[in-house]
Amino acid sequence: MVQAMLDRELKKGSAELLILSLVEHEPRHGYELSKLIDSRSNGAIRFHVASLYPLLYRLEKRGWIEGRWVEKAGQRRRRYYRLTGEGRRVLAAQRRNWRQFVEAIARITGVQHA
Amino acid sequence: MRDATSAAQSRDWRAEIAERLTSLRLAPAEEADLSDELSQHLEDRFRELRIRGMSDTEARRVVLEELDGEGSLASKLRDVVRRGTVPAALGTPVRGSVLGQLRQDARYAMRTMQRSPGFTAVIVLTLALGIGAATTIFSVVNGVLLTPLPYRDPQQLVVFYGTSPEKQLPEVSFPAGLFVAVREKSRAFATMAAFEQPGFTMTGNGDPVRVDAATVSLDFFRVFGMAPLMGRTFVAGEDRPDNTNVSVISYGLWQRMFGGDPKILGRAIKLNGNPSTIVGVMPREFAMPVRTDVWLPLALDPAGFNCWCLDMVGRMKSGITADQAKQDLIATVDAFALARRDVFPDAKPDDHAKIVVMPLVRRIAGDIRTPLLVLIAAVGVVLLIACANIANLLLARAAVRNREMAVRCCLGASPRRIATQLLTESAMLAGTGAALGLLFAAVALRLLRRLPEGQIPRIDQVHVDPIVVLFAVGVTVACALLFGLAPALRAARVDLQTNLRDGARGSASGGARRVSNAFVVIQFALSLVLLAGSGLLLKSFQRLLSVDPGFRADNVLVARLQTPYPRYDSAQMVRSFYDRVLERVAAIPGVRAVGLTSRAPFTRGNPQENVIAEGKEPKPGEPVVVSNVRNITPGFFDAMGTPILKGRSFRASDGPEAPRVAIVDERFARHYWPNGEALGKRIGPQGDTSAARWRTIVGIVPNVRHASLGEDPSLQIYEPFAQQTTWTNYVMVRSTREPRSLVSAIRAQVAAVDPEIPLYEVRTMEEAVSRSLLTRRLTNGLLTAFATAAFLLAALGIYGVISIGVAGRMREFGVRIALGAKPGNVLQLVLQEGVWLAGAGIAVGLLGAIWVVRFLRSLLFGVSAFDVPTFVAATVVLALVAIVACLIPARRATRVAPAVVLRE
Repeated sequence: MVQAMLDRELKKGSAELLILSLVEHEPRHGYELSKLIDSRSNGAIRFHVASLYPLLYRLEKRGWIEGRWVEKAGQRRRRYYRLTGEGRRVLAAQRRNWRQFVEAIARITGVQHA
Repeated sequence: MRDATSAAQSRDWRAEIAERLTSLRLAPAEEADLSDELSQHLEDRFRELRIRGMSDTEARRVVLEELDGEGSLASKLRDVVRRGTVPAALGTPVRGSVLGQLRQDARYAMRTMQRSPGFTAVIVLTLALGIGAATTIFSVVNGVLLTPLPYRDPQQLVVFYGTSPEKQLPEVSFPAGLFVAVREKSRAFATMAAFEQPGFTMTGNGDPVRVDAATVSLDFFRVFGMAPLMGRTFVAGEDRPDNTNVSVISYGLWQRMFGGDPKILGRAIKLNGNPSTIVGVMPREFAMPVRTDVWLPLALDPAGFNCWCLDMVGRMKSGITADQAKQDLIATVDAFALARRDVFPDAKPDDHAKIVVMPLVRRIAGDIRTPLLVLIAAVGVVLLIACANIANLLLARAAVRNREMAVRCCLGASPRRIATQLLTESAMLAGTGAALGLLFAAVALRLLRRLPEGQIPRIDQVHVDPIVVLFAVGVTVACALLFGLAPALRAARVDLQTNLRDGARGSASGGARRVSNAFVVIQFALSLVLLAGSGLLLKSFQRLLSVDPGFRADNVLVARLQTPYPRYDSAQMVRSFYDRVLERVAAIPGVRAVGLTSRAPFTRGNPQENVIAEGKEPKPGEPVVVSNVRNITPGFFDAMGTPILKGRSFRASDGPEAPRVAIVDERFARHYWPNGEALGKRIGPQGDTSAARWRTIVGIVPNVRHASLGEDPSLQIYEPFAQQTTWTNYVMVRSTREPRSLVSAIRAQVAAVDPEIPLYEVRTMEEAVSRSLLTRRLTNGLLTAFATAAFLLAALGIYGVISIGVAGRMREFGVRIALGAKPGNVLQLVLQEGVWLAGAGIAVGLLGAIWVVRFLRSLLFGVSAFDVPTFVAATVVLALVAIVACLIPARRATRVAPAVVLRE
């Protein structure tokens, strides 16, 4: 129940921010991104294939990330996504907004950062 | 082993994904990328779950649950996968972008059109001519009938006049006294004005020229709500009798005669020798009455009832209809007539004035209104027939393309998609045709503008303007729908199995055949209507040409002269001028006869008089005979080639002091003296009680047509010019050579007598007659062209339908012939079908024609609207055309070699 609510509400507001943050420093492929979100949120946030890829394509379409097929010896090709210049600006802005939002919530609810 | 499983597994994931992406209809390349990426993910997840200890089956179930757990994959991807750039297979519904689909359809249509250039050319040309003709005619209708006049609230402007059908006077002008009373009492009009249209000779600016002038009451310009471009119009006090001191000129005259001189105001000119000052210039668009160059003030005498010569125009109060205005005028005139028994001795309380109130725009359009409406209807009919033909062509081709359509359906194209594609093709055909058609219209309009001035009123308003383009676009869309809908609808009901099996044979299905047959019936029906209509008009025209006008038009030159008053202030002076002119002209080599008349046939205006015969005066209440009156010199009938039927022509001895004499036409003689004893009887103007009123009839001549060959001839009397002198006259010259070659010699002789008098309205009698027929000739020419086009199209239509029918039944004919049918039987079989179709069409057409010809009635002459020979001829022509058109495919059917078709 809690899981579902968290997923729905948080994903809506933060999914883009999560993806952009994760590809900020190095290119990553889709499965890697879903694993990272899962593990870093301790399983609180999960992206399955049916929601992850539409999101990735949407971000790519907006020109914030860029996917590229990479073939490594002995492996099947994978698509790696990296942050574009435009994506970097958006990420900075979203981080700022998110921080303000969280601080505002904290001031009202008294919930503090861990 | 493991690799094999993995590969199998991976293929499996791909299948799962492909299945979920079908509805997206992605391009193969994109689908492959997506499938690669997603199946990789699923595979990774699957392995992870296996490592965590799940069984294959369990891991697989979880992976698929995750794939489907959050709604359909396709719906989530729909917005983000790239579209528009996707080169989808033809016939597949490309989602979303309507524009992209349209572009794709258009490209495909282009290719289809290029593949069969002949087919395309026939359709495009048919349409170009059809749409071009329709657009041309509409441009004229638009310019002449629909474009509002350039005056303020033009719908409120009307002309009105009396009418007296029982006296054969369709139009009766008002006398000043009646007009003034009506203007005062009428409640329906905001303003009204009266005007006359005399001609004037203008001097003082180079050679003497003839100008069309109008004398107008003070309110005239206010009625139209139009201010002068420069200067002013007339003011109170200037409306004195014969005041030519001030004049307002037209923009055209200002440009033509004065080179647009900005300092034109105050300039002195001479009108009929009287000094006049130009006080104003009207704007270019002001043309009332039509073609007027100079306006002068008109004096209105409230006691004036002698000259019934005022034309009237009025602005109705807003909210008043023409009919209300008419009732108001009738009531006003009735009341006036009863109050003024001195002027209207016959007025009775239950008698009502007969008044016509006509919108000004319709008045200006004049006689051309009905022909235009007939022509636009005719061209519409031709276009309909052309559309039916094109629809049949497309249907026939659709039959050939059955297999193509079926294949595309199999590849996933929806019927709707195919119908859209076919409609796009139709739209492109129509569009190309329309573009050519507009070009055609522009050329045709240029030719129309070369017609002699005055043939088509407001021709300057006729051009390809936005409304015309809008019309062309509308017609084009209608055409595309008309001829594109049937094939498209049929394609939407495509039956795959049958088509794939039979498609290549190119036979039309039963449904398509029925539609085609219906089209043929409609074509024949419409063609018959057009043929019968144009037949009636042609027959009228023939009747018209065979009318004896009462004169011989060949080798006769007509020109007008006017002796200006008051420089010529006595009849004696005027007669002396004309006598000298006639004498000099008669001496020109090549002149056989020369005469003078106060009004030449086929010119504007028609002076008339109430005439009574001695001893046959009408009793009170009886209608008075109205007769055309002409003043002529002795040479007139010789110059005109009009024979003297009885008695004699005028002589030089019928001078001013001699006993008064008259010549009457046959109709006049027969009217009073049916038994032929008119010679020696006396006639005179009604109301004249002087002893000198009687003229003795000395001769009888045939009726001379006055304004047109088709007119209802009126009674005519002639008086010697010497006894009844008019200031304005026409010289008639009969020559032994080309009459035009005499013009300069005649002009020189006139100038030798008086250099300030111009010779104007110069034309040959043949030109005058032919000009009077020009509108009719044009209408007939166009209508005949339309009718010909219609029945050729109908012939093509029935030929096509029967041909296709025959092509589809070759096998049947083969069998029949193999079983012993004679070629004659087969021929009959095919012809029967054609004759049935044409017959049905003709039957429907006859009913249609009988209903339609009533609208032609006003254009007919000497022919009944239900002229049986014309209807029979039209029927026979169409039937013959149908038989010939069917004979060709029918003969093809008889030449079938059974062995060949049966083997196929």
